[in-house]
Amino acid sequence: MAARSLLLGLIVVLGCFSETCLATISFSSLQRTLVVTASHPQRLLKAGEDKITVTWGLNQTFPTGTDSAYKTIKVQLCYAPISQVDRAWRKTEDHLSKDKTCQFKVVKRPYTTTNQTSEWTIERDVPAATYFVRAYALDAEDKEVAYGQNTDAKKTTNLFEIQAITGRHASLDIASVCFSAFSIVALMGFFFAEKRKGRKAQQ
Amino acid sequence: MEPSSPNNPLGSNNNRATEFHPFSTSTPHMLAFHLSWLSLFSCFFSTFSIPPLLPIIRQSLNLSAADVGAAGTAAFVSSIFSRLAMGPACDLVGPRVASATLSILTAPIVLATAFISSPTSFILTRFLVGFCLANFVANQFWMSSLFSNSVVGLVNGFAAGWGSMGAGFAQLIMPLLFSLVKSFNVPENNAWRVVFVVPATFQAITAVLVLVYGQELPRENHGDSKRVCDNKPKESLLEVVFNGLTNYRGWILCLTYGFCFGVEMTMDNIIAQYFYYTFGVKLEVAGIIAACFGWTNCFARPIGGVISDQMAKWFGIRGRLWGLWVVQTVAGLLCVLMGRVESLGGSIAVMCVFSVFVQASSGLTFGIVPFISNRSLGVISGMTGSGGTVGAVVTQMLLFSGDKFSTQTSISMMGLMMIVCSLPISLIYFPRWGGMFCAPYSFHQTSTDEEDYRLLV
Repeated sequence: MAARSLLLGLIVVLGCFSETCLATISFSSLQRTLVVTASHPQRLLKAGEDKITVTWGLNQTFPTGTDSAYKTIKVQLCYAPISQVDRAWRKTEDHLSKDKTCQFKVVKRPYTTTNQTSEWTIERDVPAATYFVRAYALDAEDKEVAYGQNTDAKKTTNLFEIQAITGRHASLDIASVCFSAFSIVALMGFFFAEKRKGRKAQQ
Repeated sequence: MEPSSPNNPLGSNNNRATEFHPFSTSTPHMLAFHLSWLSLFSCFFSTFSIPPLLPIIRQSLNLSAADVGAAGTAAFVSSIFSRLAMGPACDLVGPRVASATLSILTAPIVLATAFISSPTSFILTRFLVGFCLANFVANQFWMSSLFSNSVVGLVNGFAAGWGSMGAGFAQLIMPLLFSLVKSFNVPENNAWRVVFVVPATFQAITAVLVLVYGQELPRENHGDSKRVCDNKPKESLLEVVFNGLTNYRGWILCLTYGFCFGVEMTMDNIIAQYFYYTFGVKLEVAGIIAACFGWTNCFARPIGGVISDQMAKWFGIRGRLWGLWVVQTVAGLLCVLMGRVESLGGSIAVMCVFSVFVQASSGLTFGIVPFISNRSLGVISGMTGSGGTVGAVVTQMLLFSGDKFSTQTSISMMGLMMIVCSLPISLIYFPRWGGMFCAPYSFHQTSTDEEDYRLLV
């Protein structure tokens, strides 16, 4: 037991060291140089069915050469502040390695100087919440160097709501009801049998 | 008739087993032991089958942190009442029928996770499933009825310790089952509902086995013994309950158990998140650490029982009391230390040693419970058992909800509370066997059966 806990301790400590070796990039150090728009049907979107069309490109007001380091664009679906309230597992942190705002990948493509578009079907595992879209520009080492998002800095405009699939299924409901009925019947049957055995023993 | 002693208060063993062979299934004692701990294991497995899947469930149901906390508290609150009620139920109908009925009635509720579609129904389900933790009381009562007082501490420790491992087992197996179901291309939102078939079925099967193969008393079952004329005084249920409730020793153990078992339950709830948020380890690693904390129950709680029985051989009941106080105080000191340690490795090491001591003190507590009252054994067991969950609810609500204290400060404060609440053990006094600081008052070697039967004082 002592050897096992020592081994576990070693593994965990080594794991920790490997995490700290990664450079910690902070969101506040990134420049907002990309313009991102997202278009979708103007109603409650359904996970697994509806599509979102995302367009992104460099903001032309920035001087040429700003995008020299950009190699890849990673577009993600991110939680709006209203869906982060009292939910620490979706919290926004400045250190990108600890940030949990954007948890779903929309698309990842090599960067081009012209604007690009992608149509994305909302994955069926996306939970019910309010979202916006953010794009990160990555350099050759896959590190974030710039970003853009379809909402404002305070994340209050252009948000959209997604409705998750319910997960309930008729077969599960029926199985539950049958199981409950069977359990109760079995219990009653047992009590009845015990009573009969007791009466026979007394006779 | 043999003179009574702290190891043998009735003066004869009443056909209870005097030895414990964990790897035998001889009827009726060892078979009942295995059925009972398996049944308790299935109840812990069911109750703690939800927490490992919380990251998925909270996304699926859009739960907030407040909802998750409320559900966790609800699971313990229901067990407070069910454990209190299980005591008299065992006295009345016997532990076999009481525990199996409870298991069979709560198993469908585990499967009712299929119906959950809102935070309210989630909290309600966890509340209802929490009732099955009362099987702990039935388990301890059953073991105390079948095993003599020279090994009762050991047997109670093994039965409760192996049963409690169900929680650790759930932390490990539920995520695996979930991945298995997902691999059949089932959406996440469906998959997590499907996996609860496993704990529900397991619980129902163990309940049926207990009913069919279990035997409550060394010679017959509880219901049969009621028809045999014996020299036990006839008493109503109300008298039995009143007898138990007015015994101050039961209340002291209720308090101290709240701060060993209750602390263990609270730690089970917060430990994974503590390592995840404070030290930044990955969630899977945090889950493994949490499972380790639960799995030390395999040997730690039985060791508490062994220590209790050994101290009784050397010093009688006074030895059992001193053993409990020392082990629980050391556990409290380790808890204070755990909140002060800054490094990850040190924190894990202290947590491991702390888990052994806190679980051993649970085992030591139930080495004393059988001696408090014989006729009201169920009521005393129920009081002590529900004290454990009250302690869990109190520590969780006082120290681990909201942002008043950092988690590390809360853990240290919990350790301090453990030390303070262990002091009342010194107030427990048996006139025939003494207490921690006082010698026995009377040296009666003979007593009537009735005196022995009502209270062991």
